[in-house]
Amino acid sequence: MRPPEHPTYEVVIGLEVHVHMRTESKLFSPAPVRYGEPPNHAVHPIDLGLPGVLPVLNRKAVELGIRAALATHCDVHHSSVFARKNYFYPDLPKGYQISQYEDPLATGGWIEIEVLPSAAGDDGYATRIGLTRIHIEEDAGKSIHDAVVAGADSSHVDLNRAGVPLLEIVSEPDLRSPAEAGAYLRTLQRLLRYAGVSDADMEKGQFRCDANLSLRRHGEPALGTRTELKNLNSFRFVEEALAAEVARQAGVLDAGGAIQQCTLSYDPDRHTTRVMRVKENADDYRYFPDPDLIALRIDDAQIDAVRRALPELPEAKRARWQAAYELSEYDAGQLAESRALADFFEAVVAALGGGARAAKTTANWIQRDVREALGERGVELDATKLEAGALAGLIALVESGRVTAQSARPLVSELIDHGGDPETLVRERGLEAVSDTGALEAAADAVLAAHPDVVEQVRAGEAKGLNFLMGQIMKRTQGKASPVAAREVLQRRLRGA
Amino acid sequence: MARIDRAEVERIAELARLELAPDEAERMAAELAAILGYVEQLDELDTDGIEPTFHALPLATPFRDDRAEPPLAPERALANAPDREGFAFVVPKVLDEDES
Amino acid sequence: MAAETALQLADALAAGRASAGELVETALARAEAARPLGAFVHLRADGARADAAASDARRARGASLGPLDGIPVAIKDLMVHEGEPCTCASRILEGFVAPYPGTAVARLQAAGAVIVGRTNMDEFAMGSSNEHSVYGPARNPWDPARTPGGSSGGSAAAVAAGVVPIAFGSDTGGSIRQPASLCGVVGLKPTYGRVSRYGLVAFASSLDQIGPFARTAADCALALEAVAGHDPADSTSLPEPAPRLRDALCGDVSGLVIGLPREFFAADGVEPAVLEHVREAIAELERAGAKTREVTLPHARYAIATYYLIATAEASSNLARYDGVRFGRRAEARTLGDMYRRTRSEGFGPEVKRRILLGTYVLSAGYYDAYYRKAMKVRTLLRRDYEQALSGCDLIAGPTTPELAFRLGEKTEDPLRMYLSDIYTVSANLAGIPGLSVPCGFSDGLPVGLQLLGRPLDEATLLRVADTYQRRSDWHTRAPDPATWTGADR
Repeated sequence: MRPPEHPTYEVVIGLEVHVHMRTESKLFSPAPVRYGEPPNHAVHPIDLGLPGVLPVLNRKAVELGIRAALATHCDVHHSSVFARKNYFYPDLPKGYQISQYEDPLATGGWIEIEVLPSAAGDDGYATRIGLTRIHIEEDAGKSIHDAVVAGADSSHVDLNRAGVPLLEIVSEPDLRSPAEAGAYLRTLQRLLRYAGVSDADMEKGQFRCDANLSLRRHGEPALGTRTELKNLNSFRFVEEALAAEVARQAGVLDAGGAIQQCTLSYDPDRHTTRVMRVKENADDYRYFPDPDLIALRIDDAQIDAVRRALPELPEAKRARWQAAYELSEYDAGQLAESRALADFFEAVVAALGGGARAAKTTANWIQRDVREALGERGVELDATKLEAGALAGLIALVESGRVTAQSARPLVSELIDHGGDPETLVRERGLEAVSDTGALEAAADAVLAAHPDVVEQVRAGEAKGLNFLMGQIMKRTQGKASPVAAREVLQRRLRGA
Repeated sequence: MARIDRAEVERIAELARLELAPDEAERMAAELAAILGYVEQLDELDTDGIEPTFHALPLATPFRDDRAEPPLAPERALANAPDREGFAFVVPKVLDEDES
Repeated sequence: MAAETALQLADALAAGRASAGELVETALARAEAARPLGAFVHLRADGARADAAASDARRARGASLGPLDGIPVAIKDLMVHEGEPCTCASRILEGFVAPYPGTAVARLQAAGAVIVGRTNMDEFAMGSSNEHSVYGPARNPWDPARTPGGSSGGSAAAVAAGVVPIAFGSDTGGSIRQPASLCGVVGLKPTYGRVSRYGLVAFASSLDQIGPFARTAADCALALEAVAGHDPADSTSLPEPAPRLRDALCGDVSGLVIGLPREFFAADGVEPAVLEHVREAIAELERAGAKTREVTLPHARYAIATYYLIATAEASSNLARYDGVRFGRRAEARTLGDMYRRTRSEGFGPEVKRRILLGTYVLSAGYYDAYYRKAMKVRTLLRRDYEQALSGCDLIAGPTTPELAFRLGEKTEDPLRMYLSDIYTVSANLAGIPGLSVPCGFSDGLPVGLQLLGRPLDEATLLRVADTYQRRSDWHTRAPDPATWTGADR
């Protein structure tokens, strides 16, 4: 069950996420989408809002928008309208943003989130969060107010980002805690990456989040006055900022005060929220349909084409793996975490001939050895030289008994760092398993002679000692002994044969 | 339909980032009131159930393929700039009151 | 004696009786003589001479680009021409040089036309008299104390004065047809979407359309062919290719049915002399074999109100980009807010400010439904009126303007009265249909225009009827007296 975030008040959170779509060119101009360029090096006259220019809509952006909508169970509308949102700001070249207002691309979807067990001992749980709408709009440029860069009394304007295609994804006020907000954002990010909609890199500003938060007494049906938190630029800050705002609002309400509608920013150093401005009356953006663009029409055939091209999404993968491969819920969830990892897993399983046994073995290797090596290096799988064929080859060598698991495990790091063919590596390094009975008998005799006390215990029925003796044989053979053959020899010798 | 007075003209002028001298605002209020008075004749028409025509065209918006073209040469992009530094446009400092 | 038409000049060029270089020098000299009319805001002498030399060189090696190759042409100061100034007759675009090519101008150049200069206009095309220009008014060649009409007054005056055979303007609510009528030339507003708006500085995006002025319908056909046709850079561009309009000029109108809207002939405030000449011109077309029938446009009287709501709303947003940040004239200020307010207040003239305020008002919270949405619904009714009327006839005819050219200064104090001079023209823009004005007489030495309105994409019929009429009349062969121009601007 969902534990209450606060003893007195129910926390109500809605999130607005802005995502850069993965296109080559901008939403309405053919200028390239590029990050890290010098100012105004990726602009077209259209992005500068020069007199006489006109927008033409990027097909790919619409397809990616539909993909996002389908991945989040939204209804894609057959007709939607681009509207102008009018306001003045130096990084908004035309004096209006082309967005969608009354008739958005899609409405009414949901995603399922999982909140992990908390440190405080609450159980984990899953819940469904509604999406109000998804619409397409263009990004603005950047105003740089930094006094060091721009000077004390001026600001710099860079329009490279102006016109980059954005999706705005608005949730229902269904989130009940900062932890749920964090889980929602992580789930959404994973979905968008999976579906190829966006790289959703927060550091590059490709995934940005604003939050609305209000409190009400438990059981109270009416929503409280909400405040808006802007520019939350990491998952950690989102959760921290929301927690700080819950505390602030609760303090005001506990003292008998009223919440004032306002926009806040978060100060991560002091762990507090700060009022940026108070909304006295609503902004007057004078939305109206953009007369330079006609209605966007999307027919069922287009929607179906996008649906068919949609990759299998993480929930579906997990369910399939649990059913077909008998993976644990935990392993399936972990392996489906990123599309790169999931694809890798499936490629290894396929190379091993498929089936539940291959899948379980592969899952073990990835969860234990690959994950550990990646963790040590602090890298993602797709940034390494490890190929699915190589891992499959290594697993096959172990499964066939030609290499012991012990000998094979260090090779995972080798393959991650340098790549290569496991067969060759095993041969070059002499790691082939020892199943030659003569060598094993010699090793076993030496071990038995060295540990007469343990031999006594084993003969008296203490199984623990057997493992110790096996370990000693492995040590003597540098792990190359085939465990099956070694055990056979050991038991024979213990019986005195 | 609403009446327009000087205060309303000043509110609108601020939305449009226009600065009007007091006598100018007064005169604009009178002129706009006359125009809006004329426009009130539309109230005679019952338009319930009539679809608005945002465009005289029977088309849907066309698409452009997602192909990037070389951007405008930065010197050309900035050639008309009233003020610049390096490759950035320069504007007077943005103050909180300016934010929209 | 009127100056040569473009087709006559094209023949002379083809026959080697003239060179593009000579035509440019003639145009520049005539522009100099017509300077008191204020028709041009920028003459492109060096560029035009270079283009003409290139044209002559092409022709010499047998690679002429067609009938427009080497013909001097003028363009309105809101058409973007790469590397040239573009000010829209506004202080706010002082010093702006376009860093990209506009489609219409690029197509003219591809056809070999020699662009000699940029013509005067009402600031951002907002006006019906060409008095709202930072350069001062353009004047009517038939009487320089009077308006040439607007907003494309400079283009109409340049053609009427014989400086160029073809000039281009833009028409949002009558800005080609009204000045064509007042200056005694042919002006054509094509179907919305026929000519690309990429590179046309926007006034009201859903209404704006580029079109030609010329002394004859045949020249207009030639001019429109060069610039018309689909442009992928304009989402509102029609998919149809450029039509072969000159083929339609058969000189025969027999069997065509001309609809005469009851409302256009009964309207209050139209000068009797105007109606008289219009009726006579229609009678001439009947003698040529056309038939007439009465039609009705029940919502025509709501067109001005509808137009001013839609046009100003769109304009208020289109003109937000003039903020002093990236181009144009910036007023000095310490804070950003002051910079915006001063730049825009000093940069825009009073008519532009008035329309921005009106448009901002009708879009603002609480008024959108009452004004903008309502206007868009009335637009539907108007569009249906025309569909209905044009289902029973091939084209519609009537006066272009309710009056003759009025005196400069006569209406500047009364914006609403000025707006009403567009009463017959604005509905074509609202309905998106083509419209044309052709000279049909003179009253007190001032020209009168006959307006023809057609079905969407049927510019051919309008041009055919106007051409037939011009074959049977000689109004277009008259020319104003340059002697009356001297000192007119002092």
